[in-house]
Amino acid sequence: MLEDIADYLATTPLAMAMTDSTWLFGAVEVGHVVALTLVFGSIALVDLHLIGLVERGRESHALIRRLLPLTWGGFALAAITGSTLVFANPQGYFANGFFRAKIIALALAGINVVVFHRFVQPRSMAPGALAPRVSGAISLVLWLCIVSFGRWIGFTI
Amino acid sequence: MSMLHDFAVWLAHSPLNAAVTARGWIVPEVQIVHVVAIAAVVIAAALINLRALGVMDTGRTRQAVLAAWYPVMLGAVAVLALTGFLLIASEPGRALFRTVFWVKLGLILVALVVTGAQARAADGGPSRLLAVVSLLLWITVIWAGRWIAYAEGWPGAFS
Repeated sequence: MLEDIADYLATTPLAMAMTDSTWLFGAVEVGHVVALTLVFGSIALVDLHLIGLVERGRESHALIRRLLPLTWGGFALAAITGSTLVFANPQGYFANGFFRAKIIALALAGINVVVFHRFVQPRSMAPGALAPRVSGAISLVLWLCIVSFGRWIGFTI
Repeated sequence: MSMLHDFAVWLAHSPLNAAVTARGWIVPEVQIVHVVAIAAVVIAAALINLRALGVMDTGRTRQAVLAAWYPVMLGAVAVLALTGFLLIASEPGRALFRTVFWVKLGLILVALVVTGAQARAADGGPSRLLAVVSLLLWITVIWAGRWIAYAEGWPGAFS
């Protein structure tokens, strides 16, 4: 099933363009790095704040609201550029352990965000409350994994 | 060029090179620290410059945001210099002999000065221009860094 999808992706014009060009992969990669630094940077800032390490004494809701455009803008760019990179070698990425682990970590980070917005944020945001600190710590670990696995793909594919 | 060549040869035979190439996971992990530090610079640059442009955190003064985040940027650049040096030590024939690496170093210095100059710029026009230039410079630094992997080395360079 996954192999079939990979085989199909490899026949698309985008796949041809990515493998034929000497500079296109690198250019998309630069976009991916810019995007991931925005996503990771803004999320890590919120996480460290939730854990209680930075921007102490500032209001969490306002901080999160202020950073959301950076996070989502960066995430959209990371998703577009990341998907484009896959077209350069779909079979290779789909079979790569770090790529698979990265996708799973992304899904877990998504679940963590939903849990935070639905259950944690509406209730226990008092300074020192445990739930936001746990949410922040889980998110930080997951995003460190996502960035690390992403870098490791380049060495193992 | 020949001094640079001698330096690269010395570095290639140094204990530092032996240390960072002793295990296959060391270079990737150093790169990961490098990327995380880049994220710190980018987020600091975004907060400083988007505040200067008046689109973020307008409840605080430009100077307050700069005072809070410029030290973070400088600290992250220090981490980048250290991890970057380790990466050069792992493969001295690579970055040092590519024009884009020296372009990158120059751009980092300019970007730091331009970002720091925000403290002295008056509100409005000048600070907005500096903010746009600073953001573009940091993006160009990332491009130059990634392009070390793709650029051609100088002819006859050490390898």
